[in-house]
Amino acid sequence: MILLEIKNRIIEETLKLRFEGAKAGNKAENVDVTFADFDGVLFHISNPNGDKSKLRLSASLKFYKELQEHGADELLKREYATYLCAVEQGYNISLEYDLEKIAAQPAEAVEEIISKAALIKRNCFSSVFEKYFNFQEKGELGQQRAVIHYRDDETMYVEAQHDRVTVIFSTVFKCADDIVIGKVFVQEFKEGRRGSTTAPQVLFSHRDPPMELQGTDARVGDNIGYITFVLQPRHINKQARENTINLIHTVRDYVHYHIKCSKAYIHSRMRAKTSEFVKVLNRARPEPKGERQRKTMTGKTFVQAD
Amino acid sequence: MSATLRPYLNAVRATLTAALCVQNFDSQVVERHNKPEVEVRSSKELLLNPVVISRNEKERVLIEGSVNSVRVSIAIKQADEIEKLLCHKFMRFMMMRAEHFTVMRRKPVEGYDISFLITNFNTEQMYKHKLVDFVISFMEEIDKEISDMKLTLNARARICAEEFLKKF
Amino acid sequence: MRLEMSNGTHNIAEVHSFGIEPITCHSFNKNRSEVAFSLNSNDVIICKNNNGHWSTTATLAAHDLRVTGIDWAPISNRIVTCGADRNAYVWEHKNGVWTKSLVLLRINRAATCVQWSPKENKFAVGCGAKLVAICYFDEENDWWLSKHIKKPIRSSVTSVDWHPNNFLLAAGSTDFSSRVFSAFVKEVDDKPTPSSWGDKFTFGNLLAEFSRPGGWLHSVRFSPSGEKLAWVSHDSSISVVDSKRDVSQAVTLKTPFLPFMSCVWLKETHILTAGHDCCPMLYSFDQTGKLIFVSRIEQVQERKTGGFNALKKFKDLDTRAATESVDIFLETTHQNTITQLSLTSANKNDTTVCSTGMDGQMVLWTVQSR
Repeated sequence: MILLEIKNRIIEETLKLRFEGAKAGNKAENVDVTFADFDGVLFHISNPNGDKSKLRLSASLKFYKELQEHGADELLKREYATYLCAVEQGYNISLEYDLEKIAAQPAEAVEEIISKAALIKRNCFSSVFEKYFNFQEKGELGQQRAVIHYRDDETMYVEAQHDRVTVIFSTVFKCADDIVIGKVFVQEFKEGRRGSTTAPQVLFSHRDPPMELQGTDARVGDNIGYITFVLQPRHINKQARENTINLIHTVRDYVHYHIKCSKAYIHSRMRAKTSEFVKVLNRARPEPKGERQRKTMTGKTFVQAD
Repeated sequence: MSATLRPYLNAVRATLTAALCVQNFDSQVVERHNKPEVEVRSSKELLLNPVVISRNEKERVLIEGSVNSVRVSIAIKQADEIEKLLCHKFMRFMMMRAEHFTVMRRKPVEGYDISFLITNFNTEQMYKHKLVDFVISFMEEIDKEISDMKLTLNARARICAEEFLKKF
Repeated sequence: MRLEMSNGTHNIAEVHSFGIEPITCHSFNKNRSEVAFSLNSNDVIICKNNNGHWSTTATLAAHDLRVTGIDWAPISNRIVTCGADRNAYVWEHKNGVWTKSLVLLRINRAATCVQWSPKENKFAVGCGAKLVAICYFDEENDWWLSKHIKKPIRSSVTSVDWHPNNFLLAAGSTDFSSRVFSAFVKEVDDKPTPSSWGDKFTFGNLLAEFSRPGGWLHSVRFSPSGEKLAWVSHDSSISVVDSKRDVSQAVTLKTPFLPFMSCVWLKETHILTAGHDCCPMLYSFDQTGKLIFVSRIEQVQERKTGGFNALKKFKDLDTRAATESVDIFLETTHQNTITQLSLTSANKNDTTVCSTGMDGQMVLWTVQSR
């Protein structure tokens, strides 16, 4: 798996199981699942007030307030319309599905519902992007830059300019090793455009924020990196927009995921090599002389001749 | 194998072979003690002059001999940040498992990346010439392994970036 | 008489392996039918030769640290042992059992070597306390007493050897020096007679000292007549002093081999050495006072591989990561450092020498002379 999945698989699978069950006329069962996604997002699937005929999907995003400022509510209304319900305590969004009604719908429509539900996190994010993409398209410049604190100490900045939209991610590397490996990856992103002419320009700055963010509260530090995507109109037109949002909101997790994978790979290689070295050292050990008694699996003893 | 590596390893092999002529030697300073003299350094006359064999500025081996023990410290080539990281990680990984190696020191001597401490007890239990072979093959393999790891890391990064950007 | 060595005339009479533990030290009884040795442990094992097969007859357990030296007195049949526990014991065979008596060594570091004097009324113990203890029996109290020779030894004593006259003692130490002392003990010795090394016989008097920046001394030995003294040091050199010629001047030969750990005079003119190269080497010291390399006692031979062995191949792969058969053996009989040589028999035609080493092997060599 090179690219991360945009849909949340647990939502997809849980809903699918229930919806298909409802369609097949099985007795509805109790559901109560809590699970997490990237960027500290929490999900909860349950039966509202114990009503087994209904399913509620709630999501909590720490930075939902910031997204609301950029029209998240409207976007969700557009996407989920009738399924939106009163927000469950402790969460930011709740969707409710009536299993009986779902069972009445054709299979394709159910698929569609499931798939949309699984994209809930992505849709929350997309409000910001859509807003600024529109600003650029309509030439509404001079808008304040959007600042989303999508993780505790990591921030996303989106800004529309007359010919582009820049998206900047600040990301924290947990240790010095991650910085070094991270640099290797981001370096390839910078150079990756050579291989793909349609890709946006990617910039990376380590320690100091890029020019655009100077004078803001953007953090400075050895373990901080800024990844800048310069999106051209060709990325934000109506046809390309959905795809661009899909990709760009996962970029931070994508890079970190692959840093972790690389470390795991290096670790397994080191382990293999270390055991090989131990074996080379073993060549220096003389084998004890004389006959040795050994036991077979079944417990019989036999004497091993040299 | 490059032209300078062979003589370098030969020099290390010859020096190590000579240095590994160790014997059981009880402490003449502390009663009923028997400690590696190269570590305790309590009697000057029991230590041999340390020898540094350098291939270049970055790659060198320090061989410190004594009457009952030898300390071999290796500085490994680290051309850039990534090699430095990989070398550091790898050495730390092995030193945490030093007990499997018997002759590995848990900390390198200052200025070096990894140190081995070979005592008379090791040469009594193991073939001396094979211990020398071990150190030599360690030196040969470690450079190769680190540059291999670096290549695969770069390859992964490139593929990741390309795949991602291709989707736009 | 000349000792002539040519290829193929030396051979290995017997090879005995006592496991993979090093043999720290060994000593034979008078008629070489028994041997006492220690396998790097606190115990001394006594083995008897039954038609070429050595079987254990007794274990002397008294030391609580590694045994470092054993000497079996040929005439009195007493064994003296010393160890890293700073003690020495004299063992006597009474009514079929070995009984020990303690020696008042009064040393506070490990003992390293021990040797009976030719008359067997004294023995010398070298030790890490930078001194040599000369021990003699005190009839009155029924124990072994000791006198110390301290000056001017500046490091651990690694080897001692008695002059055949029973008064002089050579000591080698890790301060790069070999020395000849008077070990005349008036309580037990007769009036000494002058020797080629000097005639000041007060106890502990330094008669000769040879110091040279080089290496730790591993072994010192007087020639059969006592006129010459040979020693081997860690700088792979072998040195000889001929007291008849010049008592202040040592002849030193630097050899291309790894350091020697032990040396032994075969005749007045020939010295056999062995050490880290795992093969005994013969040197001659001729009339003109020159040290010359004669030959290796063992000719290096190709070791034949034992054919294909599936189990071994699998083992090699599994524990040694070796895809092809790894030849882990040295070409010599001894697979690790030879630490001690001893003369087991010498007659007109050939000499038998015993070598023991860190590989747990005891090898008897016949060095032929014509």
